[in-house]
Amino acid sequence: MNLLEIEHVTKRFGGLLATNDVTFSIREGEIGFIVGPNGAGKTTLFNLISGVFHPDSGTIRFQGRDISRIRPNQAAELGIGRTFQVVKPLRNLTVLENVMLGAFLRTRSGTKAAEESRGVLRYLQMEKIADSPASGLPLPMLKRLEIARALATRPRLILLDEVMSGLSTAEALALAETLKKLPEWGISAVGGVEHVMQVVMSIADRVVVLDHGTVIAEGTAKEVVHEPRVIEAYLGSKYKELGL
Amino acid sequence: MRRWQLALAGSGFVLSLLVPLVVHSDYQLQVLFRIYLFAALGLAWNLVGGYAGQLSLGHAAYFGAGAYGLALFTRAGMPLWAALVMLVGLAMLFALLIGGVSFRLRGPYFALATIAFAEVLHAAAKNLPRVTGGDVGVPVPALFHTHANRSFYLCAVLLTAATTAATFLISRSRFGYYLMAIREDQETALSVGVNAARTKLHALLVSAAFTALGGALYGSLFLFIVPDQVLSIDISNEIAIVAMLGGAGTLAGPMVGAAVLESASEIFKTIFQEAHLLIYGLLLIVVVLFLPEGIMGGVEAIVRRRK
Repeated sequence: MNLLEIEHVTKRFGGLLATNDVTFSIREGEIGFIVGPNGAGKTTLFNLISGVFHPDSGTIRFQGRDISRIRPNQAAELGIGRTFQVVKPLRNLTVLENVMLGAFLRTRSGTKAAEESRGVLRYLQMEKIADSPASGLPLPMLKRLEIARALATRPRLILLDEVMSGLSTAEALALAETLKKLPEWGISAVGGVEHVMQVVMSIADRVVVLDHGTVIAEGTAKEVVHEPRVIEAYLGSKYKELGL
Repeated sequence: MRRWQLALAGSGFVLSLLVPLVVHSDYQLQVLFRIYLFAALGLAWNLVGGYAGQLSLGHAAYFGAGAYGLALFTRAGMPLWAALVMLVGLAMLFALLIGGVSFRLRGPYFALATIAFAEVLHAAAKNLPRVTGGDVGVPVPALFHTHANRSFYLCAVLLTAATTAATFLISRSRFGYYLMAIREDQETALSVGVNAARTKLHALLVSAAFTALGGALYGSLFLFIVPDQVLSIDISNEIAIVAMLGGAGTLAGPMVGAAVLESASEIFKTIFQEAHLLIYGLLLIVVVLFLPEGIMGGVEAIVRRRK
């Protein structure tokens, strides 16, 4: 069954066509990746799904329900978690307290929120730094903190905007290993990346390639990288040489 | 809050209650009243301006609602307790209107909207002589007839204790976390399901209620109020400055700010007369330049660096 359905979604900003007639879907338990260069419309798409923007035309469905016009906080309530490209932890609060912010969506009690958050931190291998201040964490940990906060809201779908950017290949692969387990928890994911195809190949059930707001390819990672248009428009000849 | 902080707050409260046993001078009690009153007002403002990071420069609206509320509701024949309930309700009604509209705006536009609303009320009070007495003013009933200065002082201490306790409880609750999240980044707050508009409004309602009680206390001490005294932008500014000077978004900040600002302005008033405003301005510039996060913010930064 499809968890998320994007149907002919178009969003314009003035003269700029940020997303143009985009259609794709994500099934329950799937990990999808939206691949595209900077400015391809990935963040716009995430903002449309999470209610920050509303589409000019087209429909977005989540669990069969039309969510094209919801507000961002309603998206979170329905079970759509998200991370941001620019990490923004709460200064002066500890890692655990930052994650509790997410857990408070499902409970009023601070004790329960802390308990829940410790579980999420354990999953992301961050339990050792739970009580350190969030300011001053290195970037890989900040990226994980963003994910932890979103997971603490107990989403059915998590949107990971540029979750790999700024990470080394080793760090990105380590994060991918962790994300692979999300479906076991009943959580689907849609990530957005510029490159690190190696990582995408290792965990993506479905890949959508965006270029200038338009979907130029969709399918499994294998199918997509063999698509001539993708090789031509985005990956280039250099990628061919890698022999994937 | 660690145990020693709780002990400090508790003993500070008890010592404050014992002050009238030592201090008998009416003048000194009035200065102390002013310090505690503005500590409470700064703490109330801090919920919106500090924790939620929404710069309100129109808190005179709630302060004036309290002072005028006490005068007008008792004049209408209400018993004192009912007038107190009604004046808190009036301030919260203003908060609902002001917040409902202004919280759609961000940054400087929000601040300007709060100033505008307070100024509308200021102008209304001046121009509705039949209701408010206009510029001539209106008498406010005395809350205390004997040992007035001592009683007002103790009331201000109680109000400060109540706002401190409320702030402490809020800062440890989900509500408090949500306010800080909104201050740090509203987009992130929304992404974890925080209804930012509603959360900010709730903070403003609590803030307005405490501010109105402060206004009622202030009005009753003077026995007579005019619009320029309780609804002017000077009141709004002083409330905001007390909190920012001490450290917005910290529990102790507004108390420290009130102690520094009110005692400094009292000292300078006797030495320099009207020129005390100049000193006041200089003090502000120094704080903005060297302690952008206020006195307590600066102290915290030093403690953190030591660790």
